[in-house]
Amino acid sequence: MRNILHRENLKVLYILAIIAFGLFMLFFINNLLLSSVLAFVIFYLLAPVINYFERKGFNRGLAIFTIYTLNTITVVIAFWIFIPLLIEQFYLLEKELPSLQEGVLNLVAKVENRLGYFSQLESLNLRDKLGQWMIAQTTLFSTWIPYWVGNSLTTLFLTPFLAFFMLRDGSRAKRTILDLIPNRFFEVSLRLVYEMNEQVGSFIRARIAEALIVGLVTWIGLLIIGFPYAILLALFAALTNLIPYLGPVLGTVPALVIILVNPNLLFESMGMSFLAVGIVYLTAQLLDALIIIPVVVAKIVNLHPVTVILVIILGAQVLGVLGMIISIPVASLAKLFVTTLYQQTARTP
Amino acid sequence: MIQNLWENVLNKRKKETDIYGFLKQSFLFKDLSSKELEFLTHIVHVRHFQGGEKIFNQGDPGVGMYYILTGTVDIIMHDPSFEVKDDKEEIFITRLEKGDFFGELSLIEEPSYRSASAVAITRCTLIGFFKPDLLQVIQRNPQTGNKISLRLAEILGRRLRETTEKVTELCVELNHFKKDAGNAGTNEKHFTS
Repeated sequence: MRNILHRENLKVLYILAIIAFGLFMLFFINNLLLSSVLAFVIFYLLAPVINYFERKGFNRGLAIFTIYTLNTITVVIAFWIFIPLLIEQFYLLEKELPSLQEGVLNLVAKVENRLGYFSQLESLNLRDKLGQWMIAQTTLFSTWIPYWVGNSLTTLFLTPFLAFFMLRDGSRAKRTILDLIPNRFFEVSLRLVYEMNEQVGSFIRARIAEALIVGLVTWIGLLIIGFPYAILLALFAALTNLIPYLGPVLGTVPALVIILVNPNLLFESMGMSFLAVGIVYLTAQLLDALIIIPVVVAKIVNLHPVTVILVIILGAQVLGVLGMIISIPVASLAKLFVTTLYQQTARTP
Repeated sequence: MIQNLWENVLNKRKKETDIYGFLKQSFLFKDLSSKELEFLTHIVHVRHFQGGEKIFNQGDPGVGMYYILTGTVDIIMHDPSFEVKDDKEEIFITRLEKGDFFGELSLIEEPSYRSASAVAITRCTLIGFFKPDLLQVIQRNPQTGNKISLRLAEILGRRLRETTEKVTELCVELNHFKKDAGNAGTNEKHFTS
């Protein structure tokens, strides 16, 4: 019996060393964490499609190759259509950035004047501080873009590469790692891996569906009311929507700032402009809240709203925006892990 | 080093052939075609146990079943009338050998808890087939999944029939016992009166 325990302890140490090495690689190799997260997203999005083709009698390798080729063509076409539009709107925004900055500063000045009787507010000198911050951010923005594009290119090549091998060899790799697990932890580990896989997969698919719906409805809505930068704003709303609770609010901020700076952009009165933009964003959020969340997300993430907020804050402090996005699945996985271990140790039939 | 690598590759091939041959002979997978069996060889898990090692404990959450590739396994139960699980109160149920299988109820039941403990008596090599594996087969190859599920239903049906027969036998024995005890009581009364 001592011999068995010694052998199993060695196996545990071996697995812990592999996990530690993996984590070290993820955090210390530039872009690997982001590329891995994105590769997992692609893996979970494509796995059901590849399984479908396999069910229809296709060889798995051939199915992966076909789906990859089709996806590459789709992405290239999408880039061909959307990238020029995005670049055009981006240049327009860059040109109008000084006037927008000025508009925001004037707005702050107006607010300061109206609330002038609060002497403490005046002493804060918000307008000057905000002006300095905005100039610093604009400079940072222009220097950051080339760096970001460079990083994006690495991620752009690394992500599909990782996702391809996850799809092709993921099952085999999972089995090899499971083979290393000591007998007494094997069944519980197998169950955990399966449930975690299911939960993360469903969560990612639901989140992407949400982001797509919100982005698409916002884009169409803003196009209908003739709002500028429709595609940029829709993209921003879709991306921020990935952050639970705070995301939808954050997504509306740029559009509201644009109206505040240019009150007569859409209609004569600022109220009407607010109303029109508000209806667009609200429709997108309602579709999300009434269809996607109750049907899909609520069943997957069984966390209390307070817990959700706390883990988002924690995620933001540890990993920034990426941390805010991945905090919920990580927290629900941790919950699943603890619950399963508790069931295993409590042994209460 | 290279020779070692080749030996490993050849050894792995031999192991896979062993598993393939074993699965082909087994009742649960006997309807599968050679292509389906090949697919299944990459799904099942081969586990090695030392003599005296517990495979699972009674009351543990169960995930699936095991086939005995080599070795001997004992199935034992703890007497439910004793609160403390002591080795002394273990009831021996059966001894299983090469080709036998156990734990198949866990493939279907949800949530599932082991109704007995399994202990490796000698060094054992077991082939584990678990619920996530069955679900993976159903998802990727539903036809194969159906064949396995039908065989599994047949096994569970047979087990149920055997259990019903055993319970009926026990009920009949209990009735006889009660009647005998009743008769003995009446005779005793007659004798005392």
